[in-house]
Amino acid sequence: MSTEDTTDAEARETLIDLAAEFYDQFAAGEIPRMDLPTRTKSNIEYDPEKKVWVYGDRTSTRSANSVSGARKLLKASFTIDFLANQLDEDRSSTLRELYYLSESWNNEEAQFNSQDESNNLVEDLEIVTGATREDFHMRPEESGAKVMGPLLIREQTNRGDRDIHCQKDVGQGGYQIPNDTDTIEFLDNDADFVMCVETGGMRDRLVENGFDDEYNCLVVHLGGQPARATRRLTKRLHDELDLPVVVFCDGDPWSYRIYGSVAYGSIKSAHLSEHLATPEADYVGIRPQDIVDYDLPTDPLADSDINALESELEDPRFQTEFWEEQIELQLDIGKKAEQQALASRGLDFVTDTYLPERLNEMGIL
Amino acid sequence: MTSQQTTLGEDATTAEELAEGQREISIAEFFEKNKHMLGFDSGARGLVTAVKEAVDNALDATEEAGFRPDIYVEIREVGDYYRLVVEDNGPGITKEQLPKVFGKLLYGSRFHAREQTRGQQGIGISAAVLYSQLTSGKPAKVTSRTQGSADAEYFELIIDTDTNEPEIQAERTTSWDRSHGTRIELEMEANMRARAQLHDYIKHTAVVNPHARIELREPGLDEPLKFERATDQLPAETKEIRPHPHGVELGTLIKMLGATDSYSVSGFMQGEFTRVGKKTADSVIANFRDRHFGRELGWPARNGAPSADVEADIEEALRDAISNKGADATDTFAERVANSLTERERTSYTQLVDIVGTVADEVGTETGKTFGTTVRENAVAAAWAELTQFGTDEEGDEFDRLTPTLHELVDDATSTRKDDAAVHGLAERLAQRFAGDDEPNRMRFTLSELKTLVDEAGDATEEYDDETFGDTARENIVESLWERMVTVPDEPPNVDEIAGDRDTASELLEAMRETDILAPPTDCLAPITEDLVEAGLRKEFDADFYAAATRDAEVHGGDPFVVEAGIAYGGEIEAGGTIQLMRFANRVPLVYQRGACATTNVVKRIGWRNYGLDQPGGSGMPSGPAVLSIHVASTNVPFTSESKDALASVPEIEDEIELAIREAARELKSYLNKRRSMAKRREKQDVLGRILPQMADKVAEVTGREHPNIEGAMARIMNNVGVDRERDGETVRLSVENHSDRGESLEITEIVSAEPGDLPDGVDAIEMDDEWFLNWNPDVDSGETIELEYSLPTDADADATVDGVDDEKLTVNA
Repeated sequence: MSTEDTTDAEARETLIDLAAEFYDQFAAGEIPRMDLPTRTKSNIEYDPEKKVWVYGDRTSTRSANSVSGARKLLKASFTIDFLANQLDEDRSSTLRELYYLSESWNNEEAQFNSQDESNNLVEDLEIVTGATREDFHMRPEESGAKVMGPLLIREQTNRGDRDIHCQKDVGQGGYQIPNDTDTIEFLDNDADFVMCVETGGMRDRLVENGFDDEYNCLVVHLGGQPARATRRLTKRLHDELDLPVVVFCDGDPWSYRIYGSVAYGSIKSAHLSEHLATPEADYVGIRPQDIVDYDLPTDPLADSDINALESELEDPRFQTEFWEEQIELQLDIGKKAEQQALASRGLDFVTDTYLPERLNEMGIL
Repeated sequence: MTSQQTTLGEDATTAEELAEGQREISIAEFFEKNKHMLGFDSGARGLVTAVKEAVDNALDATEEAGFRPDIYVEIREVGDYYRLVVEDNGPGITKEQLPKVFGKLLYGSRFHAREQTRGQQGIGISAAVLYSQLTSGKPAKVTSRTQGSADAEYFELIIDTDTNEPEIQAERTTSWDRSHGTRIELEMEANMRARAQLHDYIKHTAVVNPHARIELREPGLDEPLKFERATDQLPAETKEIRPHPHGVELGTLIKMLGATDSYSVSGFMQGEFTRVGKKTADSVIANFRDRHFGRELGWPARNGAPSADVEADIEEALRDAISNKGADATDTFAERVANSLTERERTSYTQLVDIVGTVADEVGTETGKTFGTTVRENAVAAAWAELTQFGTDEEGDEFDRLTPTLHELVDDATSTRKDDAAVHGLAERLAQRFAGDDEPNRMRFTLSELKTLVDEAGDATEEYDDETFGDTARENIVESLWERMVTVPDEPPNVDEIAGDRDTASELLEAMRETDILAPPTDCLAPITEDLVEAGLRKEFDADFYAAATRDAEVHGGDPFVVEAGIAYGGEIEAGGTIQLMRFANRVPLVYQRGACATTNVVKRIGWRNYGLDQPGGSGMPSGPAVLSIHVASTNVPFTSESKDALASVPEIEDEIELAIREAARELKSYLNKRRSMAKRREKQDVLGRILPQMADKVAEVTGREHPNIEGAMARIMNNVGVDRERDGETVRLSVENHSDRGESLEITEIVSAEPGDLPDGVDAIEMDDEWFLNWNPDVDSGETIELEYSLPTDADADATVDGVDDEKLTVNA
């Protein structure tokens, strides 16, 4: 527990330091400002050492020189005050609570106008201070997804430590990943690899078919764009248990982005890529190649799909031989397919044929 | 009047019966029936028109005499009627003229003058008199006192509508408190429903005549409406100008030709028109000659057949034509003429006559032989026959000197794609027509004759040679022929002959129109000028911004005109709805028929959004708190009707109106832009002035420190210019920090209560009533700080005022 207290004090210190920086700027007759990396896809670059994508050198300045800039800095000051107090009192709150809480501030200018605004501000503070929102005791509203597979963990809960086996001690739904995955300790496991699955339907199919049991697989449900906790846990499973990670999604551009955020980190949280991204994660499918090879039922690409694919071709995270080939193929055939399309060959096709074939190809099995 | 309901068979008597009823209508009678044409269509409008006519006259009279106008207008209810009194301080009118000025329609001094005046036709005031007598039956009461006379003349008069002559009902001398001026009193059936228009008229008159003082009393006003003078400067005196050659019409020209004292066209042109001197008159006459006489086509001396030698042929022909002059003289003469013709590019008949004459004189002098008229005529005929040989020669061979020349010309003038045989055919047909049968054939054609010839030849060629010669080709051929032709030296007909022949006069008019002539002079115009347009607006509208533009003079139909525009914006001007438009013509406000006026059309077609005004739908009248005034000054303002309410749509004038408005509107735009950026800056200052102290409080709270001094940061953020005072013992330090993005020039006046010391060079202390004034005018570049240091006893007070920087940008802490 003592180490955790130090972390809180450190996190608090970084916040106070930022406020002090504003103070010093005022005192020196300068315009208060805050430099942030530009958060666009043109300003992320590959860090070969950490093997993840991080923000580049370009920064934008949030300065009190404009009305909107001044308002943001005012809000930042109030948020810093709030977070510092929260750390002082060892409480925590959710991002949504912060948004509503700002209503109680005695300054209308400092109140948030939308949830996005407060979320973005917290991310800004993470970037500037180098701490994470978990360090500030800020929780996201969305919870982490579920894990099913031969893994024994110990979770520190408010009601004491609990040892849980993610197959034997859980129901059909699996083990619910908590928001702060650093409360989980891995005790034992029988797993050969981790498979992250995009849709709930496919996860349920795999579990029903006993895929986790048969292949010693940890099935992690992503549930669309994965929460930080899910990505962090995946990263820890890979790093600490030395398990290979594969990602199984729909065959469309939006799903490639889901894979991208697991493997390379997202643009919005590139400052945390180091903690969240699993660069070694591989993509199982559905590949455009699979649409052709397995003659899957498809939908035509919509205009927005084509735009997204083209934008991915320009995305530095996708500039690999594999992705360029697949994306160009998909643009060529003009089709996309869902994971469930595999059911056209029977309910067991995915577990009996498709996955074993693909995983063999990839050298996982 | 005789009934026109006659039955058939009684035709014989109808004309006589009608004739009995046909008689002259006096102009006054005509007016009686057509009051609306002059703006007297209703009681409400009649009153406004009467005021307008009387005030216009008063202004014209005072200005012409060089007095600053002081005009008094009074309207009073008298029983069932309204009484209108208009007084001016003009020069007065002589006893002899007075009855006619007020009691005769179409009597005036301005109608025949090309000069910018308010009144033009001599109808206005007498029409008002007539209207008053028709509606109330009362005579007009006129008092006038000329400058220097002891008494004023008083008349009561009406207009005899049968004869259009004044009928004086009372006449006496009287005393008057004005030393000179005129007063007219009219009673008429009227009402004050057009009060708004009346006030507009008076107010707008004041705007556009800032040199005039005008007072209006009317029953609806608790106190008189007074418009004081904004300037003592009278409008520039206008000069009357003669008509411009481009502005007259045929009837006018014939009338002028009949009336002139000049004998020659040149004298007439120079004497009766503006901008015509000797040179211009010559150009006009040359053009006139071309039209009246035609030009002569000249021919080169060229071989008509491969074997021929033109020089030899001409020589031979000349020798044959001359007899009894001896071989020497004949040879010399023939040789010289032939030689001179061969050397010339081409020679026309008249030129040939000159050459023959010159050579004959020379040879005559040298040899002592006399070349008489007959000999010369024979020689000319012989040489001309050779130059223009067409057909067969003496031996009966085909011989043609015209066609090759024309062939080259047609070939040059038409496109290269024409079939050469057809071109040749056309040249030959032209040659045939030029050669003609007339004796002597001088090859003299007017432009229209030439066109006919070319058309005939073209038609024939199209028919026989199957090649089209379209309008353009024909025009080109005519043009290139006309260019080669020379103006003849014949004496143009004199003025009397032209005056007597409508066609000739028309040729002269065309010649005048075709000649380039300088635009008319503009000293016949008296624009208000930019400064005074603005001063007039300033006087009557309490606005935030004023702009004005006066264009250079332009001409339409021989009459020069100047357009001016002024804009007032913001302040007390009403913001709801469309902008106010004030229209003026020769300084007279136009009150009625706004929709029919050219100025309104122009305002509507301008895209006002570009200039920062609202314009619903992007066209039409703009809206906003603005007044737009447009003044058109001309020696002849084109109105849509006699009541002079609306300007007619003349493209030249509309264009100038548009340019004038745009010029003024551009200034408005930059003002509005600046104002908007100032408003933004103020808003930013408001918001940041609230937010930043709160932020400073918060960071002080979080860090546990004292509230930081944020003034430096604030000044920087506001792009401010900050002036700060620091006092350290006896040392006073004023510093100017310029945080704006451009250099600033400040005027700082420091007022101190004790004598200051140690002043730097260039800053002096001036004592006044125990206070010392220091003037300091620093130029501070963007981002720079400049300091003024001096010494002052510690107990003395000091206070600085700063000018030269917009208030919004300035933070004075001194």
